[in-house]
Amino acid sequence: MLLDPNSRLAQRLNPILFLLPALSIYVVFAIYPTVSVIEYSFTDWDGISPERSYIGLENYRKMFSDRVFWEAFRNTFVWSGVILVINVGLGLVIAAMLARVWKARLLIQTCIVLPVVISPMAVATIWRWMYQPNGVINQLLDGIGLGALARPWLGDPSVVLYALAFAHSWSTIGLSVIIFLAGLQAVDEDLYEASRVDGATPLQQFRYVTMPALRPVTAVVFILTLTQSFKVFDIVWATTQGGPIRFSEILSTYMYKRGALENDYGYGSAIGVALLVIVSIATIIYLRLQNRKDQ
Amino acid sequence: MARKWILLFILGVIAVLMAAPLVLTVFTSLKPTTELVNPAWYPPRDMTFEHYLRVWTEGGFSRYFANTLIISAVDAVVMIAIASLAAYAMVFMEFRGKMLLQLLFVLGLMIPVTAVVLPLFQIVRSMGLLNTHLGVILADLALAVSVFVFMFTSYFAGVPKALHEAARIDGATEFQIYRRVVMPIATPAVVTTALLEFLWSWNDLLLRLLIMTREEMRTLSVGLLNFQGTMTRDVTGLSSGTVIMAIPVVLLFLVFQRSFVRGMTAGAVK
Repeated sequence: MLLDPNSRLAQRLNPILFLLPALSIYVVFAIYPTVSVIEYSFTDWDGISPERSYIGLENYRKMFSDRVFWEAFRNTFVWSGVILVINVGLGLVIAAMLARVWKARLLIQTCIVLPVVISPMAVATIWRWMYQPNGVINQLLDGIGLGALARPWLGDPSVVLYALAFAHSWSTIGLSVIIFLAGLQAVDEDLYEASRVDGATPLQQFRYVTMPALRPVTAVVFILTLTQSFKVFDIVWATTQGGPIRFSEILSTYMYKRGALENDYGYGSAIGVALLVIVSIATIIYLRLQNRKDQ
Repeated sequence: MARKWILLFILGVIAVLMAAPLVLTVFTSLKPTTELVNPAWYPPRDMTFEHYLRVWTEGGFSRYFANTLIISAVDAVVMIAIASLAAYAMVFMEFRGKMLLQLLFVLGLMIPVTAVVLPLFQIVRSMGLLNTHLGVILADLALAVSVFVFMFTSYFAGVPKALHEAARIDGATEFQIYRRVVMPIATPAVVTTALLEFLWSWNDLLLRLLIMTREEMRTLSVGLLNFQGTMTRDVTGLSSGTVIMAIPVVLLFLVFQRSFVRGMTAGAVK
C-alpha cells in the first residue's frame, strides 16, 4: 500500500470510497426519480415530446375534481380495509393458535408462510383461474350445495374488489402470522399460568393476557399491512386491469393507465405524488412504532 | 387434551386451505388435456410433463427464466457488496454529514416503487438502458438498498469496537478490516440480503413491464403476464408457467426457511 492507512488523507477518502457505489446508484435511480415525479406533476408533459411547460397546480386541481381518481382512491381504502381485517384479525388468531401447538407446527407454519414468497404475478394467475365462472371456487360451492353463491368472481362489480383483496391476503397473511408469532414468544409464560390458576378460560386468556401484551406488535402489523396494500399493482393489473369498468381500479393501476398508457404523464405523476405522500406518512408511523417496540 | 386436538384440527384445515391453490395449480400443470373435465382437486391420473416442455421451449419460458435468473443473481451479489460497504462506513468511520446521509437512506424506506416508476422509466430510457439487464438491475438496487444498508448497520453495530480498533492498530487498512474481520461476523446478514433481494427481484412485475418491452428481454413475470393475455384459455400452459416461476423461490424458501422468516420480518418495510 502506498497510502498509510491511518493517514489523514486516507481517513477522509475512505468514507467516500465505501459509500460511493451504493450512494451513486441510490441517488440516480431512487432519489432523482422521486424529485422528478414531484416536478413532472407540475407540468403538462406527455412523456415523449422534448417540450413541456409548467402549469402550476393544474394537475392537482384536475385530480381533485376527477371522479375516477376519487373512485380509485375510495377503492384503495376499501381494498386496504379488507386486507387489514384479514391479515391483522385472522393473522393474530392463527398465530395465537399456532403458538399453543407443538405437533406439526413447522408443517402448518410452512403451509401458511409459503404463499408469501410466491410472485404476485403467479398469485394473480392462480386466482384468476380459480375465480373463473367454471373455476375451482364455483365447483366447490356447487359441490357443497351452495351453488347459489357461485358467480364470475372477477366479473361481478359488487365482489371483484373483495375477491382480489382476498387473494392478496392469501399471499401475505403469512407475514403477519410470523410477526405475531415472534411477539407471542416474548409474552411472559407466567401470566398464562397465573390466569389459569385464577380459572380463566382460553378465550379470556386471549382477551386479557395475549391481546394487551401484543398491542405494540399489532400496531406494527397494522401499519405494515396498510403500507403494503397501498403499493399493490401487480395482482390487480394481471387479473382485471381495474375492471370490470372501474370497479377494481386502485391508485396504482389508474396512475399506470394515465401516465404510461395514455401519455398523460404530468397527471400520472400527480397521482404518483398522492401515492407517495400516503405511503410516506404510513411508513413514518411504522418506523416510529417499530422503534418504540424495540426499546 | 381434547382442546389441543381441536386446535390442531382447525390449524390443519387452515394449512390445507392455504396450500390448496398451489397444489391445485401443480395438479393442473401435470394433467393431460383429457383430464381437464374432472374437478380441479382430482390428482392427475396419467401424469405428463408435456405442458412444461411446451411452455419452456415454444412458450419462451427458457429465455424468460434465464433473464430472470441473471437479473436476480446479479442483484443479490451486488446488493451484498454495496450495502455492506456503505453500512461499514456508517458504523466504523467518522465523517461530516453522517446524520444527513442516514436521513437520506431512511427516505429510501418510504419511497414506493409504484409511485416513482414513471420518472424512473424516463431515466433508464435516457441512459439507453431500456431492454437491458443492467437497466433493471440498477433500478432494483437503488429502490431496495436502504433496507439492506440498515440491515447491515444493525449487524455491524454489534461488532465489538475493540476488535475493529485492534485490527487498525495492527496496521490493517479499512478494506482489510471490512473483508477479514467484519464481514465474516455478518454472515447471517449476508444470507438474508441475498435471499431477500433475490426474491424481490425474481418476483417484481411493474419495473420489468416498463423496462423490458422486447420479447427476448422479458422476465418470467412479464412473460407470464403476456402468456396470460394471449393464451387465456390455455389452462395447462398457464399453470406450468406459474409453477416454473414459483419453483426456484419455493425451493429456496424450504431450504432457508429460518433466514427467510428473519429477513422478511426485518425487511418487511419494502
